[in-house]
Amino acid sequence: MGLISNYNLRSMLVRKATAAMTAGGIAMVVAVFVMTLAIAQGFRATLVASGSPQNAIVLRKGATSETVSAVLRGDVPILESLPQIARDGDGRPLASPELVVIIALPRSTDNQPANVPVRGVGPRAFALRTNLKFVEGRPLTPGTREINVGRLATGRFKGLSLGSDVKFGSNTWKVVGIFTADDASFESEVWGDVDLMQPAFQRNGYQSMTVKLADPSMFDSFKAAVEGDPRLMLEPQREQDYYADQSRPVTTLISVFGTFVTLILSIGAMAGAMNTMYAAVAYRTREIGTLRALGFGRLRIVSAFLVESVALAAIGGAAGCILALPVHGLSTGTTNFSSFSEVAFKFRITPALLAGGLVFAMVMGAVGGLLPALRAARIPVARALREI
Amino acid sequence: MKYLALVLKSARRSKRRTALTIVSVALAVFLFATLRAVLDGFTAGAAASSSTRIITIRSTSLIFSMPTSHADAIRSVPGVRDLTWANWFGGIYKDQAHSFANFAIEPESYLRMYPEILLSADERSAFLADRTGCIIGESLARTNGWKVGDRVTLKVGIPTYGTRDYDFTIRGIYRSSSSAVDTQSMMFHWKYADERSLVKGQAGWFITRIASPDQEAQVAGAIDAKFANSPYETKTDTEKAFASSFISMFGNLNLLLGSIALAVVVATLFVAGNTMAMSVRERTTEIAVMRTLGFPGGTIFSLIAIEALLMSIVGGVVGVVLARIAINPRVLPSGGFIPEVSVDTQNIVVGLGLSAVIGAVSGLIPATLAARLKIVDALRRVA
Amino acid sequence: MALIELRGVTKSYQRDSNEIVVLDGVTISIAEGDFMALMGPSGSGKSTLLNLLAGIDRPTRGAITVAGTDISGLSERALAAWRARHIGFIFQLYNLIPVLTAFENVELPLLLTGLTKKQRRDHVLTALGIVGLSDREKHYPRQLSGGQEQRVAIARAIVTDPTLLLADEPTGDLDAKSAAEILTLLQRLNRDYKKTIVMVTHDPHAAERASHVVHLEKGTLAETVVNG
Repeated sequence: MGLISNYNLRSMLVRKATAAMTAGGIAMVVAVFVMTLAIAQGFRATLVASGSPQNAIVLRKGATSETVSAVLRGDVPILESLPQIARDGDGRPLASPELVVIIALPRSTDNQPANVPVRGVGPRAFALRTNLKFVEGRPLTPGTREINVGRLATGRFKGLSLGSDVKFGSNTWKVVGIFTADDASFESEVWGDVDLMQPAFQRNGYQSMTVKLADPSMFDSFKAAVEGDPRLMLEPQREQDYYADQSRPVTTLISVFGTFVTLILSIGAMAGAMNTMYAAVAYRTREIGTLRALGFGRLRIVSAFLVESVALAAIGGAAGCILALPVHGLSTGTTNFSSFSEVAFKFRITPALLAGGLVFAMVMGAVGGLLPALRAARIPVARALREI
Repeated sequence: MKYLALVLKSARRSKRRTALTIVSVALAVFLFATLRAVLDGFTAGAAASSSTRIITIRSTSLIFSMPTSHADAIRSVPGVRDLTWANWFGGIYKDQAHSFANFAIEPESYLRMYPEILLSADERSAFLADRTGCIIGESLARTNGWKVGDRVTLKVGIPTYGTRDYDFTIRGIYRSSSSAVDTQSMMFHWKYADERSLVKGQAGWFITRIASPDQEAQVAGAIDAKFANSPYETKTDTEKAFASSFISMFGNLNLLLGSIALAVVVATLFVAGNTMAMSVRERTTEIAVMRTLGFPGGTIFSLIAIEALLMSIVGGVVGVVLARIAINPRVLPSGGFIPEVSVDTQNIVVGLGLSAVIGAVSGLIPATLAARLKIVDALRRVA
Repeated sequence: MALIELRGVTKSYQRDSNEIVVLDGVTISIAEGDFMALMGPSGSGKSTLLNLLAGIDRPTRGAITVAGTDISGLSERALAAWRARHIGFIFQLYNLIPVLTAFENVELPLLLTGLTKKQRRDHVLTALGIVGLSDREKHYPRQLSGGQEQRVAIARAIVTDPTLLLADEPTGDLDAKSAAEILTLLQRLNRDYKKTIVMVTHDPHAAERASHVVHLEKGTLAETVVNG
């Protein structure tokens, strides 16, 4: 609308300092919003990337995570014989019995002991996880004390670089390869041969079994077969569901915290926007009177001021998004309390998140600008014209 | 303070603007106090740690156990005054959502080593006498509505404890005299867990009392030396270090909460500063008139500055009161493994200080501009 | 038939518990093509009368008919639309929008119509031409002198070809020379373009330029003088 684009946008720029400070307040709120949700998104993305739609993880019945699960040695051949499991070129079942223990290694950021997950895997574990790629060295040789380390782990914990000797479980293990996995939780782990890990950690048996299904649709029959077998006290889950559940407590916590903080901050920012718009209306009372005298109706005046407020807020929102951007890809970590192991992940800003931040800013502008805009339209024309 | 009336009238000039400014400062202070309280909640335990207790765990990591026979070896180390141990049980009450810390303790020695745990004499003896008895922290008891005599059933979480559910009778509800011991946990007899364990005679961590803090390094080293190169190597450290490592598991809380607090302060400075600037701009003519009448620039400066300070401090008071009321364990969901959070005196003082700083900073530029205003320019703006 | 008819128009305000009567039963007729000056001491209600004519205020009692329409009964929204179509207002303090150029200020009332951009442009340039400021279309108000600002304001007032031009002390803020120019312009608009004008003024020189002068005193008509 001609009136809105020229009159309001230019009016906004007249009092630059005021406009800048109001936009600044909104920018801060949006920056906090984007950054805290980027943490939640990053954590969730890592855990979700860990799950493949074609894989299933088998745990003890009732176990809430691998760490409190148990799969007996005798269960393995029974599971491997099930027809729903895919087979490799040599006809061997794509299944990996696994065991996760935690070793304490100093964290590179604060030297405190961190709970590093060490995963004992079966020989076909690499075939199961298709997003796994080696960036340095090579896969471990089964039957040896060779270990592989995820790239995020080498960054976050000390002593895990290629060629290092790592001492745990009364043995020394050598790092022969570093892998990436699309930032999945596996990248925070150390992998070794599960059959050598068991005695090293005085364990007897495994915790879980990960299998690749011949086709994702076979999950239901696989589940029925496992649960129906009286010899097994196990229950399968889709790998994606498992990791989604694992990430939920932490993701929820961070999201709730972030939303709480942002909401409170936003009230302050809206109060600021309201202040600014009220002042603008007061300053321009005579102009408003003139416009009304010329015949511009109340609705047009209201919408004009509302648009001005929203536009200002949008600028603040954009600034806030730009302010938050540098954190994207920043590595950090926290402990996944379901597994008690530390998960390294990266801040993750998505276009949707940025859009959300912008919309949030505009909502703040609309709410803050509403009452002043209404006031602008309600001043009796004659009185408005008399204002100095 | 004859100018106080002037300042107050100025603030009342636009009640709405004053109110909005107070609101934004109040919210900023509220948030700030809350963030600090959260940080304190997490670090309180470590801060209050005893300097004469040291913790021994498996060097591999906390999730591995040691044979209880280690106790004899440890006791023989010079400087060791007392010893106890505990195991993480990880039992599940109803479901994951209701989880809380529960662990098995060597009862008599543990209660002796942790005088912070406060129980009445009757509750204490009842607990010690009942092998399937347990003691519950008062906060946990409140959350679940438990009283002495109630029965609690835990499902096994960690497979090593067998498959059958564990039944307990609450023999006591303990209070804590220090943040070093929280009241959101449940403790029971180690023997009860041991008799059903798949591997017998295991301890999760040993707690040793030493004669004086400066003996810590020496005794810790001596303990670890006893088990070096054995299949059950240990790592002994202060209670404080042990507690701190748990806090660090959450992530760099200091950085996260600190950054948010910073953003809060900056945002509020923008808003408050803006308000003061607008308010001064409105009064240009008056200020010019006052200067014409002979008011010195310094007085003008003070008037504006004091107004800004006053508004901010009022906002600060509102903020800390709100924080005090809203942020306490009775209102906030804590429980489980999230520590209790409450706003203490120190947080309140810092909050008020912050509001004063905001007031001072936001008022500075407008006050200076007002003091330096050229009378001629100002008066010209009237027509 | 008179273009404008006021019949028993009264305007009063409630200030605390007092009733302040600004206009008391005023009855006037204004014919098409008239150039009427409204004079009176301060507080006589002349500006109020102008506001009522413009539809930016409502009478407490009485009826106001402009070009056959009884505007005292119209709703707020209808009044705004009516105003846009029928009234051109010239203020003492010009009331130009500072952030708009002269061109854009004049164009403002046209945004309320359905004209295309080109059509609007034509009207604006015509209006600016009439007031003699075609070369200043891109200037901002602060770059214009008082007299020039008022001329832009006049251009804005006539750009929609309104039924009635209302001027509230149009020369009140101008020096003698600029004031004379403005009054000449108003006369031209009245004589050459047949515009009906009602002008409030306290300056007898300005009143002389009108075709007849109406005096208001304490809210009632005092006398009417016809200029030669």
